[in-house]
Amino acid sequence: MLRRLCATSRFSQARALHASYIACFASPVPEAAEASTQQWSPLSKRTGVIARKRGMTAMWDSNGARIPLTILQIENCQVTAHVEKPRRHSDPYVAVQIAASDRSAKNTTKAMLGHFEKAGVAPKRIVKEFEVTKDALLPVGTTLSAVHFVPGQFVDVVANSLGKGFAGVMKRWNFKGLRASHGVSVSHRSAGSTGQHQDPGRVFPGKKMAGRLGGKRITQQNLFVARIDTALNIIYVKGCVPGVDNAHVYISDATKKMVASAKVKMAKGKEPETWLPRGVDTLPFPAGTAEVAAQVADVIVAPAQGRNPWAPKE
Amino acid sequence: MNPLQKNIRATSTHIARSFTRHFASKADAEVAKPYPFSKNAIILPSSPEPLPPSLLKGTAIMAHVKNTLPPPAAKELLSTLFHPSHPSALRPGSIISLTLAHAPTNFAGVLTGVRHRGPDTSFVLRNVVQRTGVEMRFFVGSPEIKDIKVLTRAGEKGTKRMRRAKLTYLRDDASKMNAISASVRKAV
Repeated sequence: MLRRLCATSRFSQARALHASYIACFASPVPEAAEASTQQWSPLSKRTGVIARKRGMTAMWDSNGARIPLTILQIENCQVTAHVEKPRRHSDPYVAVQIAASDRSAKNTTKAMLGHFEKAGVAPKRIVKEFEVTKDALLPVGTTLSAVHFVPGQFVDVVANSLGKGFAGVMKRWNFKGLRASHGVSVSHRSAGSTGQHQDPGRVFPGKKMAGRLGGKRITQQNLFVARIDTALNIIYVKGCVPGVDNAHVYISDATKKMVASAKVKMAKGKEPETWLPRGVDTLPFPAGTAEVAAQVADVIVAPAQGRNPWAPKE
Repeated sequence: MNPLQKNIRATSTHIARSFTRHFASKADAEVAKPYPFSKNAIILPSSPEPLPPSLLKGTAIMAHVKNTLPPPAAKELLSTLFHPSHPSALRPGSIISLTLAHAPTNFAGVLTGVRHRGPDTSFVLRNVVQRTGVEMRFFVGSPEIKDIKVLTRAGEKGTKRMRRAKLTYLRDDASKMNAISASVRKAV
């Protein structure tokens, strides 16, 4: 979004962006504008992580409010490659390729065995790229940990939704169906009419009808990270996540509440303490690896958010 | 100080037991690992037992979370009074009186059902209050439950054993509920 506003200037990386951003917004330069390789800044984009949805439970925060939790476990998530591809009218596409969930060599194709051997990791079940900025690239073979996400931040979780099979229009498109009585024969849940008369004399393409529902890729945005367990590599997010238990999910910093929000606040010249959500001081950069996890406690819980729901409103 | 933070600190003192760091000595505090990414994050003491490597692959991870997630007070209740099959588990039809941190500070009634979901276990108490039937669902893991007093245990000698796990039929049975609410008032 911010790039399209400054269509004339070409962006390369963080240091060159500095002057261009100033020209675009004519706002005072924040002191920490230059993105260092070891410090997170709104101009950098971190990698995501591949996890497995294990189930749901609940906890109570220090205000006494109940937080429904989904348990996402990171199962030996490692970096397997760097991807850099040129793009015609934009900066090159830079991504870090991540693989997770070890798999036995006898069940892995020779092609993939060679790929994993080149990366120096065990064979894995799932491989995915996450687009990053160049300063957020990680050495191949790095193991990612739950410490990558900070309790108090927001994440987007992507997974395949539960399959609902061949669903009728009432479930699939929220149609109201027909009356339960008063002469309606055998079509209480049907779609009713599908068009007009001789003009146009056809059914428009895209007409909402019954069909397969679910089993598609869904992104659940802005889920609050309530707790992390670095010993078990578990991220507890508040709320629901699409899909079945033990399915692979992709977790990344929330596009709206983290990435875009921080960029806009920085461009507007707000205080650096306000760029990240309340309670989050900074993010592990370039990533929360197993080495970072070793220096940090096992279980970290986010502070209570908002007012105490039990205290009377003044 | 942020007024919200002041509120959190004031209300969390009486439930601070579960949420603050416990150090046996100053030495422990010194070796505790600092968390550089969030000043206000709560760091819980980690268990001393080593974790089996199968847990990292997800084997029996939900059972492990069920045992380790609740704070000590809730774990005690979940393993005795609200356990699915403990000898002293509460059976539906028992009469229970609760003391709560929030309004209503006291609520008593007949236990009409327990929903067993590990840390998310909850139960429903039903009573007739001012000629109105009232059902309230309480969560065992909630820090707002100060005290649970069992006034009558169903199924013990002298009392009737209910033949249902969930006593929703009491919603339609005014005579039985009147009798129950009278005995609740007498027992409390």
